Amino acid sequence: MPSNGSNSAAAVWAILRKECRSEWRTRYGLNAALLFAVTTLTVVSFSVGRLGNRTDILAALLWIVLLFAALASLSHAFVREVEGHTLTLLRLVASPTSIALGKLLFNLLFLLVLEVVTVPLFLMLMGGPPLSWGPFLGLLALGSVALAASSTLVGAVISQTRGRGALFAGVSFPLLLPMLAAAVSGTRAQWQGDPVGAEVRILAAYTAAVLAVSLLLYDHLWED
Amino acid sequence: MIWRVLLLVWIAAAIVAGFAWAPLVPVLQETTRVFYFHFPSALVTVIALAWSMLHSVLYLARRDLRHDDHAAVAAELGLLFCIGAAVSGSMWAKAMWGAYWNWDPRETSIFFLLLIYGAYLALRTSVEGVERRARLSAIYSVAAFVTVPFLIFVVPRIYDSLHPDPLFNQRGKADIDPRIMLVAFAMVVGFTGLFAWLLSLRLRLARVERRRLEARTTGSDL
Repeated sequence: MPSNGSNSAAAVWAILRKECRSEWRTRYGLNAALLFAVTTLTVVSFSVGRLGNRTDILAALLWIVLLFAALASLSHAFVREVEGHTLTLLRLVASPTSIALGKLLFNLLFLLVLEVVTVPLFLMLMGGPPLSWGPFLGLLALGSVALAASSTLVGAVISQTRGRGALFAGVSFPLLLPMLAAAVSGTRAQWQGDPVGAEVRILAAYTAAVLAVSLLLYDHLWED
Repeated sequence: MIWRVLLLVWIAAAIVAGFAWAPLVPVLQETTRVFYFHFPSALVTVIALAWSMLHSVLYLARRDLRHDDHAAVAAELGLLFCIGAAVSGSMWAKAMWGAYWNWDPRETSIFFLLLIYGAYLALRTSVEGVERRARLSAIYSVAAFVTVPFLIFVVPRIYDSLHPDPLFNQRGKADIDPRIMLVAFAMVVGFTGLFAWLLSLRLRLARVERRRLEARTTGSDL
């Protein structure tokens, strides 16, 4: 039963540092994810060419690339523990909530690195009208937190199943559909110079709701 | 037994009333009658989802496997009604709007429910161990429940709807013939009864299966 470890900020910080260190030693997850993101981007760019002013398609494609990259890589944080048989040890030293929060922060950082490479490359390859930087970066940040939050929860669940990787994308997708719709519509609106307030509010509320319910559910993640 | 017969008579009477007694809406012509199937199916889909998610929360709180049975069985039946609502709606859309599917907000939400049901059931099949399966699927179910309301706010902002407003608004009530409303609500009662009956059947089956599994693991015969 949970929890004999500490549930403090220090534990979360320690988990985050441990995640970063073990990722940095091999860079296997990051390399795979970056390669996947660039591949998706290339496929998209190669097959549709420059889109110019078609901001509706541009916004959709941008989020499809980001979503695919996230779905291909974000379950990694938990699956690695299960496959390396290190989860039991981890559970001895920290509570489920601090493990999950640490992994959530790591996933967020991971997404950030992914986006730093993918988004400028996307804008370069696909063209498109100038961005309104404030709303665009705001939507990107909120969207990333929402992606990281729900895929951390689903990743923790999925790592305990037989299908693992295969199931992750399909099971995450229904949860991500509202967030995806709001992010795409907001990104399109900022390109067209329309206000994005409503989308930002929806994304923020979605993220807050997923984070809140995650905090309630993390305690039930591991019990056997 | 008496309830099953009553249910049969009730639904049969409502179907007959739908054909013989209730008038047709001029715009819809003969397709008016799809309504008596489509609307109750959609409503029962939502009821089943709420039932499944309520029992998921109860399972996490109490750790009683009977709640897990309720959650799983309600999800299976919900999927059935959801397919019924989606298919009937899609055929109706083809007849009235000219296309089987055009991502109307209502179509999007019913598709969303299909995805959630599908993912939930797929997740269930891939977890080993009764209690672990119950726990993990309950976690997923609760997380999915939280995201449901957002779709209702997000999608209408993006796509225009051809679907009429839900029946419960003040304005729509005046437009529809009271006889149509009466038949529709009789069908809602009938479908909810059907759902409850199927639920009780599947719950009994789940109980028997659990007992058989326990008998097998303890080595004794049932």
